[in-house]
Amino acid sequence: MKPFAYDRPATPADAVALVAASSRARYLGGGTNLVDLMKLGVEAPDLLVDVSRLSQDAIGPTPDGGLVVGAGITNSDLAADPTIRTRYPMLARAVLSGASGQLRNQATIAGNLLQRTRCSYFQDVSKPCNRRRPGSGCPARSGHHRELAILGHSSACVATHPSDMAVAMVALDARVRLLGPRGERTIPLAELYRLPGDQPDRETRLEPAELITAVELPPLAPAANSDYRKVRDRASFAFALVSVAAALEIADGHVAASRIAFGGVAPIPWRASRAERALRGAPATEESFARAAAAELDLARPLPENAFKVTLAANLLVQTLLDLSRT
Amino acid sequence: MITIEGLAEADELHPLQTAFVDRDALQCGYCTPGQLCSAAGMLAGEADHPSFVTPDLTRPPGRLDDGEIRERMSGNLCRCGAYVNIVRAIADVAG
Repeated sequence: MKPFAYDRPATPADAVALVAASSRARYLGGGTNLVDLMKLGVEAPDLLVDVSRLSQDAIGPTPDGGLVVGAGITNSDLAADPTIRTRYPMLARAVLSGASGQLRNQATIAGNLLQRTRCSYFQDVSKPCNRRRPGSGCPARSGHHRELAILGHSSACVATHPSDMAVAMVALDARVRLLGPRGERTIPLAELYRLPGDQPDRETRLEPAELITAVELPPLAPAANSDYRKVRDRASFAFALVSVAAALEIADGHVAASRIAFGGVAPIPWRASRAERALRGAPATEESFARAAAAELDLARPLPENAFKVTLAANLLVQTLLDLSRT
Repeated sequence: MITIEGLAEADELHPLQTAFVDRDALQCGYCTPGQLCSAAGMLAGEADHPSFVTPDLTRPPGRLDDGEIRERMSGNLCRCGAYVNIVRAIADVAG
């Protein structure tokens, strides 16, 4: 591992100034992903700016009745919060499905949002990877891609976004508060992420040195009846092959509102807008749920080894909606 | 912070250590300090919070059954595969 400097500024503004002044600086939260990538040689920053002790670890109400969650709160503390568990159960369940207890105790939520793909080619510096080294090629398409994307990928990159938490947050229309050299702004979380296209190395729409300071959750009534389901190769401590975050509100036997996103299937947390449109006003039946799943997965372009994900995603969504329709 | 060296009281083993011996919950022993510390942490109040396998997230399980123990211990790997007896040993202490 290459030597690097470490700094622990007292305020978010100081942290931004430090990163802005250096061409190869990285923010350090819990370090559960970044430090691994430094050991692998994927990341080689010359300065780590520790933002884990900036006291951004509170959960509080917003004026519109939603919640604001500090960027530095740990995954464990977010999932344990009684308000999150009651009002946004899909978010608590998604966080609890990720990694292990030890990692959740350490990892921050901003770091969770910005964690990198676990594509084996991205993590192996002896292999080409357009995401890690632009223009070097993507061996995954003709190589090992069983775990990789069926939606939103490009000829340059078929990686998946690994987060569970981000899937639930995208379904909830969460927004992220950012602080950069030019001040503050707030954007929808869904707009933070970029599809790979022909520039897979540009993973987000963050400006240079921009820091996530908080996540806002809107007051979303249907979210109280929601869940997160995850299918993986082993029962725990594994990334998703396919996951779904879904919220469902039913009135008079018909779907009044729904929020749906998939994980493990795309380079970004995948909001299933087509499925949501197909459900609007439809009878809350298995047939409607299957039609909604088909409407979304019609977009899928699976690779030879991961075609199973299309069926898996459809079945997982239908079963999750059925269970939510019976509560 | 308590490490494995601090779990026993002088010559008196921690109840989890005794249970691991009684249940033959190890083979090579390499992972055992981590298994014991994770189990001790888990039994010291973590049941006040739900896990991924808790059916109702608004109601923490209180008592940890085998499914809860397996989920909450999943970050500790045992390459000898002593998992079955590790769960037995922890369940003995969890009551």
